[in-house]
Amino acid sequence: MTDNTTRRSPFLSGLFSAIVPGAGQLYNGQRYRATAILVGALVVLGMVVWYGEPFWYISPVIIWLWNIWDAVSLSAGRTRSILAPVLFSLLATYGIGWQVVQINFKSASIERAVQIVRPMLRPDFVTLRTEKNSIWVPVQVPCAPNPPKAENEINGIKAFATPNCASVGETVIVSASGLWPDTETQVWWQTPIGDPKMLGENEAAMLVIKTDSSGSLTTTIRVPSTALAAAPDPTLPFQHRVYFEQFRPIGGFVISSNGRYVLQGMTETLALALMATTLSIFLAIPISFLAARNLMSANPLTFGIYVVVRTILNIVRSIEPLIVAIIFVVIVGLGPFAGVIALAIHSVAALAKLYSEVIEGIDPGPIEAVRATGATWVQTVRYGVVPQIVPPFTAFTIYRWDINVRSSTIIGFVGGGGIGFFLIQWIQINDLRAVSAAFIAIAVVVIVLDTISAKVRERLV
Amino acid sequence: MLRVEHLSKTYPNGTRALTDVSFEVADGEFLVVIGLSGSGKSTLLRCINRLIDPTEGKIFWDNIDITAATPADLRHIRRNIGMVFQQFNLVKRSSVMTNVLSGRLGYANPWLSLLGIWPDEDKKRAIKALERVGIADKAYNRADALSGGQQQRVGIARALMQEPKLILADEPVASLDPVLSHSILQYLEQLNKEGITVICSLHFLDLVHRYATRVIALKDGIKVFEGSAREIDRAKFKEIYGEEAQEVRATAL
Amino acid sequence: MTRNALIIAGLVVVYLASYRVTQIDFVKLISEAPKAQTIVRAFLTPDLFVRDFETTTIRVPFPIPCGSAPEADIVSSGPRLVPSVKCAAEKDKFTLEGFSLAPNADIVVRWHFPDDRVLTAARTQTDDKGHFSVAVDAKPIAKSINGVPSQLEVDTNTAVGGWKASQSLKDVMQEIFVTIFMALLSTSAATIIAAPLSFLAASNITKRGVFGAAVYYVTRSFFNLIRSYDPLVMATVFGFWLGFGTFPGVLALTVVTIASLGKLFSEAVENIDTGPIEALTATGSNRLQTVIYSVIPQIVPDFVSYIIYHWDINVRISTIIGFVGGGGIGFYLSQRINGFEYNKAGTAIWAIVIVVWAMDFLSAEVRKRLT
Repeated sequence: MTDNTTRRSPFLSGLFSAIVPGAGQLYNGQRYRATAILVGALVVLGMVVWYGEPFWYISPVIIWLWNIWDAVSLSAGRTRSILAPVLFSLLATYGIGWQVVQINFKSASIERAVQIVRPMLRPDFVTLRTEKNSIWVPVQVPCAPNPPKAENEINGIKAFATPNCASVGETVIVSASGLWPDTETQVWWQTPIGDPKMLGENEAAMLVIKTDSSGSLTTTIRVPSTALAAAPDPTLPFQHRVYFEQFRPIGGFVISSNGRYVLQGMTETLALALMATTLSIFLAIPISFLAARNLMSANPLTFGIYVVVRTILNIVRSIEPLIVAIIFVVIVGLGPFAGVIALAIHSVAALAKLYSEVIEGIDPGPIEAVRATGATWVQTVRYGVVPQIVPPFTAFTIYRWDINVRSSTIIGFVGGGGIGFFLIQWIQINDLRAVSAAFIAIAVVVIVLDTISAKVRERLV
Repeated sequence: MLRVEHLSKTYPNGTRALTDVSFEVADGEFLVVIGLSGSGKSTLLRCINRLIDPTEGKIFWDNIDITAATPADLRHIRRNIGMVFQQFNLVKRSSVMTNVLSGRLGYANPWLSLLGIWPDEDKKRAIKALERVGIADKAYNRADALSGGQQQRVGIARALMQEPKLILADEPVASLDPVLSHSILQYLEQLNKEGITVICSLHFLDLVHRYATRVIALKDGIKVFEGSAREIDRAKFKEIYGEEAQEVRATAL
Repeated sequence: MTRNALIIAGLVVVYLASYRVTQIDFVKLISEAPKAQTIVRAFLTPDLFVRDFETTTIRVPFPIPCGSAPEADIVSSGPRLVPSVKCAAEKDKFTLEGFSLAPNADIVVRWHFPDDRVLTAARTQTDDKGHFSVAVDAKPIAKSINGVPSQLEVDTNTAVGGWKASQSLKDVMQEIFVTIFMALLSTSAATIIAAPLSFLAASNITKRGVFGAAVYYVTRSFFNLIRSYDPLVMATVFGFWLGFGTFPGVLALTVVTIASLGKLFSEAVENIDTGPIEALTATGSNRLQTVIYSVIPQIVPDFVSYIIYHWDINVRISTIIGFVGGGGIGFYLSQRINGFEYNKAGTAIWAIVIVVWAMDFLSAEVRKRLT
């Protein structure tokens, strides 16, 4: 590439490159190549030093050697292929990257995947419509002299317990009759303050007994160890209750309780995205004028404002709304409002930048033309400026609303409301069927909105 | 010598583009195909190098049946037939040089060409082809940095790389202004004088008079005229195409 | 007219409903804003550099009663203790001042008796300049013994050596590197998978015949389905499957990026100009040559531009994917926030700002060059 007149000493070329990678190339007049080599070598070296594994030092060494050889070759008028250094840089980058992010395909167990996918195939959105049959019987804990009789009758269903009173940990025989025959019945304990306690194994499972063909059941229960946990004085006798509850399908489906949460979450998510986007429009429009270079470079003062506004917008834009939400959860508490503010702040920064670029790109031609007709300033803005900026502003806003819907599905992870708030809890308690319902709802809503907004934007552009 | 026999083409959507077209082209001719847009000119040219497969009929070139050629044979035939397009059909983001070299792909080593490695003689040939069309200095520019007339010259240089015996030019000047049109057609005329057969479709009557040695006219896919350029004057043109011919004139001017 | 009125009425209803659902309350936002003071102040004063501290004890001899022992020399610079009187009689009160001690620190003033026993005399705090002033009793127990006076002493931390990077700065640097690598690996892996898939989702390439159309719609729908999930949502599932850490984070990012890039790529493929393909076919080149010389040059700049754009996005997402256990700087950040270590969280936030900003700038510059 270099011709005879600019040829340099091979020795010096090599020496320069040995001292500073790229210097020999610079000496040979290859400024671009020199910069690329220097930057590349420094990046690879920095990375390898940071990671510290001796093996990878091979990469910067090879790049260094190649760089000397290249400089010497250049002085002889030959350009060497950059394949080798590029290859070794990539090798080091991906090798180190692979180790840094701890890629481990062994942990990807198929069995575990099946365990996850199977419940997810049955999303918890609807449940069979059921009717309920229930009865309770009072039991005094602990015993006082002359406890009231432990029996109760509602709508022909009878229940009683013997003895009439017991202390924590003691056994009581409870029976009920007049229930639906051959139906599974849940038996559970309710403390005087309304806390439900389970009576199954280790007090961690629901006790379920099937009624006999005449609709009766009898079982022994143990007074839960936590029955008195919230009592003001554990020695005072109180009336606790033992509940018997039956459910049977009566045909058809209703939305399950988790399904209702999914609906509530999605409604919140949509409302959140809508309010955040709307709020951000009002703030972003005035700010965008301050961030438009062509309007603000008239004098040093306005240019200073421009620089400050741009910088703030850039900083705010680089902080994800999820992080901003943390601060607002502290201020306004858990709930969608914190999410609205966090998303709105991020959107203001993002939209103001896009809007300001639109303003910077305004074609002066139409403005001139309108002014030439003798229009006033307001008319010029109305007919020369507004028609130019409204369609792109709207398109960008719809685009932002799309992004906000997606973001508002996760803002709840830190307490910002929306479906994410429920989703993270279901994940923590392992309720994969509910997770699956949330996933389906998110996909449906986002895809539908995507399609609509794509159609609207197509019309605008 | 090219012989087209009873050529017909019906597109899958039912459009009849060509109906029973037959003609012969002797080596060294400058044959112009005229017709209004949609008359089947492009289809006819594309049937000759089988970018479009005809529905019926045969095309013989030096007594080889192009319509019956196997894919391998077809590539051999194609590399002897250069083609120039109305929209130039250059890869706009590639350099002029790469675009011109790509005309040589039919000859190139398939594997080396995949890596973008070209023999030096091909590179020299490419520079020579660009010199012929007067834009050798633009060899390392991106194709989209060139003006329309220059891009069409790159298109001709690409066709030259094939060392063609026949050049098919599909409305080569329809996207250019009249002055540029003449300069492009003069290159084709020059090549024709060097012994390359040219089949060119046009719709400007004055250009037809100036360059054609022979003319065939298509109307709705049917050959309605064949004869020398002198025979087709304005009256004849009007006789063939009726009042629509006025529009052709209008767009030409 | 009625149509417009209906639209406006619909919008009003939607906005009113949204307003209620999102529990908007600007009064609360403003009145409760001071609550965020500590957090924001901590975020703005990130934990970046520290100096090593050495605890030194500063003493001043204080003869009780006067003349029982030699009085202290007066020091006028450096960390020092200055009593208001040089000596005192038993039970006298005097003021002890300290100068140039560690600022804003708790101070315990002690009597150090000649027999090396120690007694707390007073507790106070230093101000911004490391000064304190406290009243002290000249206790009888602090009498001089055999001409040796009791001393008043305080411990103070003095900085030794220069500033150095704090532990959290080092941790943050480490995590930032991990984050950049997460983005790099996921974007690369996604590119390798999305590039061929995108051809299947390009109508001009695939949508031929029943089978082709089926492939086209399946790939398209797959892209659209996956794209509808935020990467964080995806990360929760992968975290479930693979345990929490960097790897599931990278996988989740990869999957979402495949869908996103696949869609963009397929649009680039759909927009190619077919002219060059025709031209090259006409020169007698084979299919592969045609693709390499006419399709690839047309799509590569778009592809590269999209890849860089997505790397930029992925760096951004990697900074928060750790909130759901996906590793990287986000995990560090969420841990610090959960532990109320807001200064350290501030370090992470500033690192995120700088890296995201740099990526944004670089990717915009590179993409500008490409087109």
